[in-house]
Amino acid sequence: MWGDSLLIVFISICTALLGEGLTWILVYRTEKYQKLKVEVERQSKKLERRKEAHGDSLDKQHKKKIEREEERLKNNNRDLSLDKMKSMFAIGFAFTALLSMFNSIFDGRVVAKLPFHPISWIQGLSHRNLPGDDYTDCSFIFLYILCTMSIRQNIQKLLGFAPSRAASKQGGALFAAPPGQFK
Amino acid sequence: MSTKSKTLDSASKIKLNDSVWKKAFSSNAEWPDKEEFLDVIYWMRQAIGIVLGLCWGLLPLKGFLGLLLFVVVNAAVIYFYVSSIQNVDEEEFGGMWEITKEGFMTSFAGFLVTWIIMYTGLHGTSSL
Repeated sequence: MWGDSLLIVFISICTALLGEGLTWILVYRTEKYQKLKVEVERQSKKLERRKEAHGDSLDKQHKKKIEREEERLKNNNRDLSLDKMKSMFAIGFAFTALLSMFNSIFDGRVVAKLPFHPISWIQGLSHRNLPGDDYTDCSFIFLYILCTMSIRQNIQKLLGFAPSRAASKQGGALFAAPPGQFK
Repeated sequence: MSTKSKTLDSASKIKLNDSVWKKAFSSNAEWPDKEEFLDVIYWMRQAIGIVLGLCWGLLPLKGFLGLLLFVVVNAAVIYFYVSSIQNVDEEEFGGMWEITKEGFMTSFAGFLVTWIIMYTGLHGTSSL
């Protein structure tokens, strides 16, 4: 059982690296993306500073300026997301195929023992395709999702591919969550 | 010429990293760059998650108590580090909540993975 769990950690490290590598080839290294990223970061920081400086002032001129900048930032953010989206779809399809392959390899196999009883709406995931009623038995998919959640984001941050905090804060929902986190 | 500037670039990066390490381990350090401080909090959280996961698996701690203790210890360590060791003004970083949230989910996932794997390896055959 231990071998299986360690193998899943290894698989998720490999897939995270592969995913980031592919995204680098298809998106991160392109000039368009790099330009847009720098622009979004610069605008986010500028907007944050401006908002801090004139936070509660009711000056119409400042408000208008801030609104105009917000609009520009939104547009740039949308372009950035669209640029990423196309290749993300391609990578998403490849990874779904890979995931279903691993799913069939580990089908019905208890890969780990949970040290806690998962709450009912997680049991569907943690006990997926497993025989018996012992809900401390852990399925492949649950451990894989947990591994991916921690490993992928840390790898993104280590390699400097994660969006900056200022951009996430200003960009709202479009840019907030790192894409493909659960792939 | 370009190779020289590249070498200089990497040298200054290493120096910068050195100073971040020094600042992270010294009390009352100055943090002019907010991102830098939040990065230190982020990576600290990840390390705490893994260490606690290893400890909980070795002991072994089981059930809801393990999850609750992780949340409490994790938040307490970060709160103590921010308010007592670094003495930073939390409002500068968007309040204590922003700092408490920083990297929490990733750290929680990392904690669960190490806890589950350690527990499986050492106590996996005995049931709860």
